[in-house]
Amino acid sequence: MTDGPTPTERFIQGILPENPVYRQLLGLCATLAVTNGLKPAMTMAVAVGFVLLSANVIISLIRNLLKPHLRIVVFTLTIAAFVTIVDRFLGAYMYQMSKALGPYIPLIIVNCIIICRCEVCASRQSVFTAAADAVGQTIGFGLALASIAVIRELLGTGMLAGIQVLPAAWPSWVIMVLPPGAFLTFGLLLGLINWVDAVKSAKQGRKG
Amino acid sequence: MGMTIQTMMRDVLIALAPMVLSAIYFFHWYAVKQLLTCVAAALLAEMLFTRMRGRKANLGDLSAVVTGVILGLSLPGTAPWYVGVIAAAIAMGIGKIVFGGLGMNIFNPAMVGRAFVMIAFAGSMAASGYVASRLNIDIMSQATPLNAHKQLGAVVSLQSLFWGNTNGSLGETSALACLLGGLFLCIRRVASWEIPAGVLLSTFVIAGAANLMNLSSPWTVAHHLLGGALLFGAFFIATDPVTSPLTPGGKWIFGMGIGALVMLLRLFSGYPEGVMFAVLLMNSLTPLINRLTIPRPFGGV
Amino acid sequence: MEEILTDNTPVPSGRIRNSNLAQAWLVLVLALIIGAILAAVQVRLSPIIAANKLNETLEKVPELVLGAGSAATRPSGLEVDPGTVKIEKDGPDSFYSVFHVVSKGAPAGWVVKTVGQGYGDKIELLIGFNPDITAITGIFVLGQKETPGLGANIASLKWRQQFIGKATARPLSVVKGGASAPNEIDAITGATISSRSVVGLVNRTTKDLAGKLAPEIVRFSRQVKKND
Repeated sequence: MTDGPTPTERFIQGILPENPVYRQLLGLCATLAVTNGLKPAMTMAVAVGFVLLSANVIISLIRNLLKPHLRIVVFTLTIAAFVTIVDRFLGAYMYQMSKALGPYIPLIIVNCIIICRCEVCASRQSVFTAAADAVGQTIGFGLALASIAVIRELLGTGMLAGIQVLPAAWPSWVIMVLPPGAFLTFGLLLGLINWVDAVKSAKQGRKG
Repeated sequence: MGMTIQTMMRDVLIALAPMVLSAIYFFHWYAVKQLLTCVAAALLAEMLFTRMRGRKANLGDLSAVVTGVILGLSLPGTAPWYVGVIAAAIAMGIGKIVFGGLGMNIFNPAMVGRAFVMIAFAGSMAASGYVASRLNIDIMSQATPLNAHKQLGAVVSLQSLFWGNTNGSLGETSALACLLGGLFLCIRRVASWEIPAGVLLSTFVIAGAANLMNLSSPWTVAHHLLGGALLFGAFFIATDPVTSPLTPGGKWIFGMGIGALVMLLRLFSGYPEGVMFAVLLMNSLTPLINRLTIPRPFGGV
Repeated sequence: MEEILTDNTPVPSGRIRNSNLAQAWLVLVLALIIGAILAAVQVRLSPIIAANKLNETLEKVPELVLGAGSAATRPSGLEVDPGTVKIEKDGPDSFYSVFHVVSKGAPAGWVVKTVGQGYGDKIELLIGFNPDITAITGIFVLGQKETPGLGANIASLKWRQQFIGKATARPLSVVKGGASAPNEIDAITGATISSRSVVGLVNRTTKDLAGKLAPEIVRFSRQVKKND
């Protein structure tokens, strides 16, 4: 159980090489639902980050007590606890944001990123590695959400994080802040990233 | 009879001429501007996106021009220039090139572009976007016939619908022009006659049934057939050979499905017209219709 | 999630170790600890959340009755009494949350909370009335999920301002472009359905409550003083 990626490797991998959204295609429900603005997207990233870090640390601490056939129950229990805390916290201190995010905060419970990290990393590696993994994955998730949210909010409203960026005459592309805009933006960005990769590996192939 | 893509597209362009002329006759400069914008943007987008895929762009096959003209004819003359440009870019990019280019696309490219701008710029594309009272063209200050009927219960005369002196998308107003161009397409066998026949038949049956249930309604079967984008859609949009079924039986099913969906949307939805959504929905069923109607050799897999 | 770990731990032998309880001890202990933590969080935060919900409405009440200008000056001696009123109809009785506003001892008006179906989802409205319910003093959209850029404009100040000062004697009606009669409201371009929903909701509320709102009819739950 001790061999495996080091904390630094885990941290780096989560950001780009194993980006939860673009590489593992996890947590897409939240990715598509809350990226119509930079503010809700970043709130979601922070909320997922808190739950992921807490769950990873707890699971890693009790990893030697886990029974294989009961581990999913323990994961879900831990995750649900922290999601409830986040949900109540937002309701108490960021009421408008909590209303805007609606059911998507409680839905973090079924966000595959967290249960995947518990399974792949936290239940097998030390607390420090699990924490580094959680931070790396959160940064990766946050970057992915930001990339989609910036495009959607900018084209859809001419604003960024609620501040007017483009000239007021900008004709808002309303479709971008609606659900089809989420699918289009995500699909095109995913295609772009794969295209860049294909070009890169083709170049390397020629060199070698 | 050897048809290349180029001669086929040339025939489509000839068939589109009556609508282009009627659009210019009724909407003057606004039609010219909108059509030029859409064609130029479609050509540019085709060139750009095929380059990105590392292929040589083949603008000579005229398919991008056809998409541009059909798109332009399906927009209101009042729509600002960026609406045409974005619609053309989406039509070529998301409607065609991402699927692998001409012949590979699932949805009619022009309708993909139009659907995008219709939702993105509802202000200039929804029924109220067609009305521009400041302009010195009379028909453009009226509501479109279908919307006038849906919102106000007003009825436009069949004569106006036939000749085309009503407001609407550039190419759809004149039933005469659509019929002329459409019949040419069918005679040249560029379009399969089964598809428009299916659309018109099912529209006729459903509109007739609706008419029988409410005999006093001034909006008759003939209004449903001649008004809106029905004829333009039936002859020019639904008949796209790439996105419609292959067998005659499949084409009947496809056409009748479109007619039924159009009537469903016209009678029961919040939108006054439904040709675009109907074609896109039936496009998505085309592979399924092909599967059901193409006979397989006995014992084949 | 797919099960990646393989079940290769030896099955514990013996009757006690094999029982479900013994195997699930970790789950039970965790559940107890987490339950305790969540209970503490709930006790701590639920009053704040409840207050947030009430404040969201209360904050808007003075503005809806007195107008944005005079409400901004934070008039003193303003009292807001939340209560409920029961309207008996043919179907099931409906209840409205109402707020009676009293300024320096004199009745200043009413604010009513009402919910109805919009284009996308339910629309939640606050409607302000003058003391004898003959005129609307303002409306505010508390919650809506209409199409952004179109129907969502029902929440815009510009559109809502049309309602200020409308008489309640005749039902309001929606027109497209250029409201001229005193009971007409301009529809939002491209969002006729959302506009009609709001106007219909205002009309229904007005009809339900006309003549029914009097301080002695409404059951007030408690008093909230706004003296700051």
